[in-house]
Amino acid sequence: MTEQVEKPQKQFKWGVVHIYSSYNNIIVHVTDLTGAETIARASGGMFVDAGRLEPTPYAGMRAAAYVMEAAKAAGINAVHILVRAPGGVKSRTPGPATQAAIRTIARSGVTIGRIEDVTPIPHDSVRKKGGRRGRRV
Amino acid sequence: MAPIAERRIGMTTFVVNIPLERVGVLIGEKGTVKNEIEKRLGVTLSIDSRDGSVIIDLAKPVSEGGDPASLFKARDVVTAIGRGFSPERAFKLFDDGVFLSVIDISDYVGRSHNSLTRVKARLIGTGGKTRRIISENCHVDISIYGDTVAIIGEHRDVQAAEEAVLALVRGAPHGAVYRMVDEYARMRKAGGPPIPR
Repeated sequence: MTEQVEKPQKQFKWGVVHIYSSYNNIIVHVTDLTGAETIARASGGMFVDAGRLEPTPYAGMRAAAYVMEAAKAAGINAVHILVRAPGGVKSRTPGPATQAAIRTIARSGVTIGRIEDVTPIPHDSVRKKGGRRGRRV
Repeated sequence: MAPIAERRIGMTTFVVNIPLERVGVLIGEKGTVKNEIEKRLGVTLSIDSRDGSVIIDLAKPVSEGGDPASLFKARDVVTAIGRGFSPERAFKLFDDGVFLSVIDISDYVGRSHNSLTRVKARLIGTGGKTRRIISENCHVDISIYGDTVAIIGEHRDVQAAEEAVLALVRGAPHGAVYRMVDEYARMRKAGGPPIPR
């Protein structure tokens, strides 16, 4: 499986899809390779009305479809995918919308380069919020 | 790490470290477990049985029909087996909408051996009673292994179970936690989706 870097048959215009997926929402954000220039951006709340539906796979799918449409209109035909959960002292597993979003991007017809998990993992960290007695409902 | 990264330039891989004693479970008798993961998800697992590192990558590139989402699934399956689940239970993660959550108890109680043992005992309960009540009411699978609690289930169920586990870790009485998960089970049955928060 020692494959070389894929030979570009056509001219690629690369972009980066940043997927930030928490338990409460998903944000899909397409930038250029530097990450400084936004091409398109969408969040779960733009496609569903109830707050509790924002992190659902359906919202992830719609958000991803929307940004990929906009990215293709801007001439992007190849993307890297960076997936991120809240990280730090919060959850380190991406929320439920992630897989739907990735799948939608894969099916949108653009070439996919690298897929990476960029969740910030602390080497040592501060105390979790909530205090000694935890969250009291 | 460096040689791996060099060898696989341009390819997407995940690296998971699992305890050495779980390597045998991940491979399975004559490789059955490893083969099933590779077949069902279209990934390849390179397992180093000396240091317990597992390299996961797609069997065929995305351009030829590989599904990048299955990389994440494979990572969850391998982590689950590494965190003490039997392969049969870990294979529930193949389904869409089933998630794995790993809670490190030492984040909450510190590194003292005595308090870790005490908290783990509280989580399991006499003869596994507490663990059974949480997993039945929340419809999840729970594995308590080393210093971690791993939970497999649907997203909302996992969150409810997590909350119950954390309450116990922080010292809530068992009765209160049983009431909590019982209430969740009733809400779940009534069909009204409790707001995940």
